Amino acid sequence: MKRGRIIKSAFRSLGRNKLRTFLMMIGVVIGITAVTMVVSVGLGAEKRVMSRVEKFGLKSMMVFAGGGREMGRPSGEQVSTLRTADSEAMLREIPAIAGAAPFNRTPGKTVSYQGESKTATLFGVTSDWAAVWDWGAARGRFITPEDEQRMARVCVIGRTVQQELFGDADPIGEQVRVGNVLFEIVGVLEPKGTSPGGGDMDNRVKIPLSTFMRRVANVDHIAGIKVLLHDGRDMERTAETIRELLRERHALAPGEPDDFRIITPTEVTQFAEKVAGTFNIFLVLVAAVSLIAGGFVIANIMLISVSERRAEIGLRKAIGALGKDIRFQFILESVTVTLTGGIIGIALGFSGAVILRSATQIPVAVSWEGAALGVVFSTLVGLIAGIQPARRAAALQPIEALRG
Amino acid sequence: MKPIVRVENVSKVYQKDHEVPIHALREVSMEIAEGEFVAIMGASGSGKSTLMNVMGCLDRPTQGKVLLDGDPVSTFDDERLARIRNKKIGFVFQTFNLMPRTSAMENVELPLVYSDRADIGGLAEAALKQVGLADRARHYPGELSGGQQQRVAIARALVNDPEIVLADEPTGNLDTRSSYEIMALFQDLHGQGRTLVVVTHEPDIADYATRIVKITDGRIESDLENQNVRRARDELERLDDSVEVMR
Repeated sequence: MKRGRIIKSAFRSLGRNKLRTFLMMIGVVIGITAVTMVVSVGLGAEKRVMSRVEKFGLKSMMVFAGGGREMGRPSGEQVSTLRTADSEAMLREIPAIAGAAPFNRTPGKTVSYQGESKTATLFGVTSDWAAVWDWGAARGRFITPEDEQRMARVCVIGRTVQQELFGDADPIGEQVRVGNVLFEIVGVLEPKGTSPGGGDMDNRVKIPLSTFMRRVANVDHIAGIKVLLHDGRDMERTAETIRELLRERHALAPGEPDDFRIITPTEVTQFAEKVAGTFNIFLVLVAAVSLIAGGFVIANIMLISVSERRAEIGLRKAIGALGKDIRFQFILESVTVTLTGGIIGIALGFSGAVILRSATQIPVAVSWEGAALGVVFSTLVGLIAGIQPARRAAALQPIEALRG
Repeated sequence: MKPIVRVENVSKVYQKDHEVPIHALREVSMEIAEGEFVAIMGASGSGKSTLMNVMGCLDRPTQGKVLLDGDPVSTFDDERLARIRNKKIGFVFQTFNLMPRTSAMENVELPLVYSDRADIGGLAEAALKQVGLADRARHYPGELSGGQQQRVAIARALVNDPEIVLADEPTGNLDTRSSYEIMALFQDLHGQGRTLVVVTHEPDIADYATRIVKITDGRIESDLENQNVRRARDELERLDDSVEVMR
């Protein structure tokens, strides 16, 4: 009963001093807005990586040509040690492997049709690609073993390529020029949308790997192999078996580094977690800096307000307020201000995140974690910033305070 | 009549570091009974406010004993004193001490905020009615005259139905007419059986009380029944007459 009346009294006091309340709140609003936005972007990035892993498949792994330890595409020197024979040997000798899809690629190839042209990524793939990637033709057909054998000049195009070169017309049976070679379109790929990395997965042209190697790029190596396992639980063991097999086939002496890289979903997940961890440290820093600043502002205004309100505090104590009643009121005022600021900040942060997403393609995740973090942080700031001023107010002697 | 306040050999010494101690009260003893209207008179620095603070449980004596309604309040801790102040004492200050930007009603309700009562409905309205300001309940102090503000403060002092009302220079910041109005209100309250103590340095104001205690240098100089109590209402009427004449 009495608590309820003190709470009401504190709210009225905040309502009477709107400018003071606003000034106290603004720091927390900014801080929590920043925290909420950063959390949204951070979680968005993590989610994107996770969805990429899921899309890739938990029973799959990638073998890339070229060594190195970090994630990402092999860069720098061309590594020509990975061959289609490696892929065939893996499938033949390791029983845990259900399928292997070797591929090579060239980004930025010009594809033209009747004077219209655009650039797309050219992929050389085998007929197994469709099964291993679970990504076949939506219309027409995919590349067949016969295409590979004949080094046929046939291609399967992505939806973006189809729309930009043919519009609504049926592309199947038409001839497109890729580089200097003419290809017959035999199919249109199932649309995949934007890749987690931001690239358009439908802006691709797929041709038989043999055709790619002999007729287009004139190389005898491949860029990588996607390996599909019978069972995802064999992942680590199989990765090690593949490694041993490839080292043996590439005649690598002990101590010599791998000239290929095996990337498993576990590795991708771990990398994502590492990135998220770094992000979280950054987040904590942003949160800490902005909220410490906001907290100082609040503590300061509260202290000023305590000396400004000496007469009020003296009066309240003279007419029977206990020290703890005064302390409760001041902490409540402080927490109310920060919590309200926090809630406003959460709303602003989420709105900002959504605007950011629609304006820039940066993935964001509007989550309850962000909101909870905002509520917890802002309450804490209010409590911590309010304690000292509240104590000071509670310790005032009524006659001293009444004198003003 | 039962005694409300009993002060026994009370001394109060203010001692700041390395300064000469100030003896605000020197072995003062007095008793205020239920229904009395006492004026405590004295020059500034005589110790009259200190006496009021000690009686009002705002301050503890350095020596001696204070009994309020039978309780030895001079031995109580801060928390118990706060509860006693809330329940048994109504304060009226020279500067009104109303909360700004807060309606008359909310100002009067303030002591109820800290009361242990479960039901406080209607008490503030009744107190405002008692001081004749029921129609000003929603006004802010800034919208009221000085006299009206002091009446709001008196309503606040009355809202918890205290044993005693202590007023420290209640007319010190008021014009003559408002002063008479306040004293008339005090006389009405006294007529209804309230126990009142008014601290003042103006003999003119003390004349409305039924008992006048004079304090000099922290000692009671005289403590006499007022043989010739003036009626504040008479003064108000006289003021109204003179206004008529001037017209």
